[in-house]
Amino acid sequence: MAAQAAPPEVPDTQLIARCLIGDDRHAFAELVKRHQSSVRACLRKLTAGNHALADDLSQDTFVLAWRNLKSFRQEARFSTWLYRIATNCWLTQARKRHDELLGDRDTDVVDADADDWAPSGTTSGDHAAGTTMKIDLERALARLPVAERAAIVQCYHNDLSHEEAAYVLGCPVGTVKTHVLRGKQKLKIALAAWAPSQSTRTP
Amino acid sequence: MNVNLPAPSRSDTPGDWLDRLLAREITEQGGDYIADDGFTARVMQALPAPDALPAWRQPVVVALWLIAAALLAITLPGTAQELARDAFRLFAAQPFSLSTIALVLAAIGIATWTGAAIALRRD
Repeated sequence: MAAQAAPPEVPDTQLIARCLIGDDRHAFAELVKRHQSSVRACLRKLTAGNHALADDLSQDTFVLAWRNLKSFRQEARFSTWLYRIATNCWLTQARKRHDELLGDRDTDVVDADADDWAPSGTTSGDHAAGTTMKIDLERALARLPVAERAAIVQCYHNDLSHEEAAYVLGCPVGTVKTHVLRGKQKLKIALAAWAPSQSTRTP
Repeated sequence: MNVNLPAPSRSDTPGDWLDRLLAREITEQGGDYIADDGFTARVMQALPAPDALPAWRQPVVVALWLIAAALLAITLPGTAQELARDAFRLFAAQPFSLSTIALVLAAIGIATWTGAAIALRRD
């Protein structure tokens, strides 16, 4: 995500210390610049591609981070701590704006029946382009329940370990593994046309 | 969740096709660095206003209290003991009720904590 950013000269911990001791807003601005891309990308995934909402939540995330910087005990990386705040912001917003955030933007499917997890009505010809796969994946991800989508995004998109994802989601590691497993099972159904074992890719 | 999940198949291994698909998507998106485009400036504008009093206020307040206590201890030797003795006599001689004592203690506590909160508050 932020892989293309230049390696930071001053470590995050030093910038955080400057924020805490001297109320140094320039140091915090540097932290925001470093982590804005990964936080915004994470929230874009969670909000199923709603960029405007993701940016609003990202802004809330950093404001909350500033307010609660004293409570950051460095038990996790700063980026992981930001993911935790971002996920909580998204969950809070998701409860308020259920229809807008959850499910496909065209449909309001959240806890769909198993039948709804069949592949979408795309033809085999559509699958030729990689972008179609990306869209299919995004749509399938958007239809997952909140907890499963959050677990998948943290473990795969943010490349966190199960332990780190558990910290971000505020739940036991076993719960994260269960959410990931269930989410992946549903994704496999939704994306069955992309399975390499199938000789014909017609849904 | 009322979804009847299928039993995990043999392909549900860590290296299965969905993992590869997700990994590929991560690799592709890994290159998509989101440009700042004024985002940091908007965040900095949204931050709460800085404290009216400087950050060095807290250690200065503590230091002043320590100096005041030290001066009291030096200039008034034996006063604390006399005060304590008089207070004991007063309490021993006067039939204060428990509710009165509790009220006085509560008032002293509230005054102390309020003073400390005002002196040490950051926001």
